[in-house]
Amino acid sequence: MYDIAVIGGGVIGCAIAREMSRYRLGIVVVEKYEEVGFGTTKTNSGIIHAGHHSPPDTLKGKLVVRGNKLYDRLCKDLNFGFSRIGELVVARSESEIPELERLKKQGEAKGVPGLEIWDRERLRNAEPNLSNTLIAALHAPSAGVINPYELANALSENAVDNGVDLKVNCAVEKIVVEKGFLAVHTSTETIKARFVINCAGVYADKIAGMAGLSDFTIHPRKGEEYMLDKRLKGLVQRLIFPIPEKNTKGILIIPTFDGTIMVGPTAQDTTDRDDASTTYEGSEQVFGFVSKICPSITERDTITEFAGLRAVSNTNDFIIGPTRIKGFINAAGIQSPGLTCAPAIALYVRDILKSEGLVLEKKKNFKPHLPGPPRFASLNDEQQRRLVEKDRLFAKVVCRCELVTEAEIHSAVDHGARTLDGIKFRSRAGMGRCQGGFCAPRCMDILSKRLDKPFQEITKRGGDSWVVKKMMDS
Amino acid sequence: MIEIKKYICIGCPVGCPLQLEHEKDRIREVTGNECNRGAKYARQEFTDPRRSISTTVQISGALRQRLPVKVSGAIHKDQILEAARKIHELKVMAPVEIGQVLFKDFLGEKGIDVVACRSMKRIAEAMTACRTKKHRRSKAGKPE
Amino acid sequence: MLGRVEKKYGVVVVGGGPAGMGAALGARDCGEEKVLILDREPEAGGILLQCIHSGFGMHYFREELTGPEYAERFLQKVIDHDIDVLPGSYVSGVAVDSGGSKKVRIMSESHGLITVETKSVVLAMGCRERTRGAVRIPGTRPSGILTAGLAQKFVNLKGYLPGKRIAILGSGDIGLIMARRLTLEGCRVEGVFELMPYSNGLTRNVVQCLEDFDIPLHLSTTVAYVHGRDRIEKITVAPVNPDLKPDMSRAWDVPCDTLLISVGLIPENELTQNLGIGLDVVTGGPLVSSTLETSMPGMFACGNVLHVHDLVDYVTREAMLAGRFAGEWSKGVRRPKDNIRLVPGDNVRYCVPHTLSPEREHTIHLRCKAAMKPCKIRVGSLMEKKLRFVFPAEMIMFKIKPDLLDKFHGDTLRIDILPLEKGERVD
Ligand SMILES: Cc1cc2nc3c(=O)[nH]c(=O)nc-3n(C[C@H](O)[C@H](O)[C@H](O)COP(=O)(O)OP(=O)(O)OC[C@H]3O[C@@H](n4cnc5c(N)ncnc54)[C@H](O)[C@@H]3O)c2cc1C
Ligand code: SF4
Repeated sequence: MYDIAVIGGGVIGCAIAREMSRYRLGIVVVEKYEEVGFGTTKTNSGIIHAGHHSPPDTLKGKLVVRGNKLYDRLCKDLNFGFSRIGELVVARSESEIPELERLKKQGEAKGVPGLEIWDRERLRNAEPNLSNTLIAALHAPSAGVINPYELANALSENAVDNGVDLKVNCAVEKIVVEKGFLAVHTSTETIKARFVINCAGVYADKIAGMAGLSDFTIHPRKGEEYMLDKRLKGLVQRLIFPIPEKNTKGILIIPTFDGTIMVGPTAQDTTDRDDASTTYEGSEQVFGFVSKICPSITERDTITEFAGLRAVSNTNDFIIGPTRIKGFINAAGIQSPGLTCAPAIALYVRDILKSEGLVLEKKKNFKPHLPGPPRFASLNDEQQRRLVEKDRLFAKVVCRCELVTEAEIHSAVDHGARTLDGIKFRSRAGMGRCQGGFCAPRCMDILSKRLDKPFQEITKRGGDSWVVKKMMDS
Repeated sequence: MIEIKKYICIGCPVGCPLQLEHEKDRIREVTGNECNRGAKYARQEFTDPRRSISTTVQISGALRQRLPVKVSGAIHKDQILEAARKIHELKVMAPVEIGQVLFKDFLGEKGIDVVACRSMKRIAEAMTACRTKKHRRSKAGKPE
Repeated sequence: MLGRVEKKYGVVVVGGGPAGMGAALGARDCGEEKVLILDREPEAGGILLQCIHSGFGMHYFREELTGPEYAERFLQKVIDHDIDVLPGSYVSGVAVDSGGSKKVRIMSESHGLITVETKSVVLAMGCRERTRGAVRIPGTRPSGILTAGLAQKFVNLKGYLPGKRIAILGSGDIGLIMARRLTLEGCRVEGVFELMPYSNGLTRNVVQCLEDFDIPLHLSTTVAYVHGRDRIEKITVAPVNPDLKPDMSRAWDVPCDTLLISVGLIPENELTQNLGIGLDVVTGGPLVSSTLETSMPGMFACGNVLHVHDLVDYVTREAMLAGRFAGEWSKGVRRPKDNIRLVPGDNVRYCVPHTLSPEREHTIHLRCKAAMKPCKIRVGSLMEKKLRFVFPAEMIMFKIKPDLLDKFHGDTLRIDILPLEKGERVD
């Protein structure tokens, strides 16, 4: 019997599991995909919002500034890529300036630090590649970027280091309310737990439904993002936001943690909960809009594109809290800024669990720290030499576009990568302009050896995502 | 009865659309060609279309698992698929030298052999073993 | 010698494909004794090792060879000429000191992190394929979408199939060759879909790789959507309007488990760019002088890293030339700077080299923008050459003699491809 079963290994589930692993509790995370973070978590913009966007009377508005602040500590502990590069909300006409002022006031009321309105000249000096038709901007220095999949991986790995069980390829199919506990029936086994935390992203209403709850619904809203060639690195230094629209913060220019520029997302309601497709309309919308703000961005520089689903609830806010079923707790409707809020949500859920009667007793041997993955390409000569002396495989290049070495691939496998995407998200191999053309066979060789699986059984991301078949005569 | 067969000339990038007029097996005329090569090509295609073929076969004891091979002379077009299937029955052991004949008088035609397109050295078993042993590391070892 | 590397060289060649081997041999030919070839793959030979079909060497060896045969013949020459070859070595940078000597930084599993010093460097890194991202196909992102070259590697080098039911986007030669190759391996090829109204591959490949096996080639058609969650399940294809946008009202679905992308090649200029060498935006390769020297003195380029060639024989020829000049350079020969700039004019997409000098004969390589037949090439007012045809897929080559250039006093020479005038005929 577990104390807590977390359903869903996205960033929210992982953050909660990791937070709760500080206490003497039996915890399990149940994830239906091959690896954690393969849901919405790997397909978002990676922005740690400053917090001025969301209204203060919503739960997301309340958690966002706290979440943002918690990132410094979290990053120190877990060594994922995080950088506070700051954000600019840009105004294209005089009529938009009052909106900048409104956002500034809203932010200040919530405690967002350092908000400032910049005039045209200051904006041009700071971001010379933006269109010269922009007339002012709101600067929020505390906004930052992370690699979201790195965060999910680090959280789950640290949770596992601290005793949490992680079950992947394990989909929840039924939940039975028993006396004093809940029985979670999955595709592989039945798990008993006193508390179940529903962090199933776009499927959270389905999971709640399994427990007999029907008080909310989730409506997926798709966002398409377009990653641009590294030729454009450095084009903008900060996150660039337009004046927000009704449903979204609009289409953004995002210098990702690695410096590559990404543009998006769109906001399109859909009924298909697995719809990760990109569309002509989406790209037209993104590039049509972005080129007005930054004229040197064109569709031709796209190296890859993807889409993610925001789990928008019928209240348009987070739904976090206990339910009429004792022990069943929702962490649902976690749309943007869910990533930013993740560490704050974890604390919020901890307090809920406490008030629901869970006894929290701190572990003495909790290990908060996780060394980050080795990043050969970002080291100086001396550091590189030292690594190579320790391990010759640091001198064997596997991914040429991002300069990833074989030792880093092994490290990714050591840290849980089981698929090509798993390797990509941990080591960057396959993320560059050739999109795996060079490194995929090498990574497959390594996975095949390390996992002791035949070459043809290596997948892109688990399930039926096979890469090759055997030849007739072999 | 006069019939027409159509070809595209592969002699050069112009790719002339060729028309070959024939009565049964007798060629009457080739038209559409901008130069002589086109006419020659159409006649050859009509009377005895031939193709060269190359593929790979399994090899053991070498750095790679496949050895590229070719058929030393052009074979009749209709025999391509059959030839490919037949070549696949070959299994080769390293070492192999470039040009080495792996299958003599293939398809029963004299002088048309299956030959190796490259040399492959033998990699000692021991070396292959030590290569895999390097992999490695205690922590993940063999993940579940 | 294979696997040997010393501290100092006259010429270091980055890349061990046909261009790299040709350049090394060229450098040896002109008397340079210390030549090293570096290649990141476990064997030298480059892309030729996976191109197991025949069609190589007709010009150079007067014999039709397969890729591996062409590579092995060259590798043998390289070894016979006592050139050092270090496979499995990745060049991560080149530092140039004030004296012009270059330190090549190498990563290699067998040697660790090492630097070798050299007087000249030849860049011969080849090219890479454009990917799905570069052509932007909407839809899902399942497994089973890969470039034709990667599929070729899986099949010919590793012995695995990319799938069983194949669709191919783009009619580049690698895609066509793979259509036949996969058919021979028992796969079903559903069709080749080409955006343009003409094939990008050689007619010979269209005939022998598609028509021979009744594989349909759909021109002016594109893949408009990819379906499938984990693995690709089908594609939606649609004819395109004159603006090259798909006409969805005429679209249809093609079931498949694999989509090969064969939409062109781009020079692999990661390293070149990092060195701050000037690039030609059209070719994607470096700007070079008539000695195939880049904007960085003592740094040369040849083969597909310079511009994408159609035939390996031409790569070899260009590479030998680059190697010869690199060898000369390392021995201290400094030729006068080129003083004539070549500029692409009407219907000329690019020309290489980018500058000329009046002291030697030059071979100019160029590509046209649009097919034209018959036509003539006009080089400033110096010369005209009539041609039966020009095609974008076929590189055009011609020579300019030094005596012609002697008479030329300007500093830019414009090259045009023009239709013939009334009364003009190709002889
Ligand atoms: C395009 C886009 C851009 C965004 N940009 C930002 C941003 O810049 N900054 C920001 O703060 N937020 C952003 N967000 C929001 C943020 O990504 C989400 O709030 C966050 O990732 C939600 O994490 P999650 O763990 O709730 O969901 P998910 O990552 O979807 O995790 C849910 C997990 O539950 C699993 N699961 C589902 N059903 C079952 C079952 N039956 N059994 C077992 N497991 C199951 C799934 O497989 C999945 O792994 C963005 C969202 C989108 C779509
Ligand atoms: S007939 Fe002559 S011109 Fe026409 S395609 Fe054949 S070789 Fe070229």
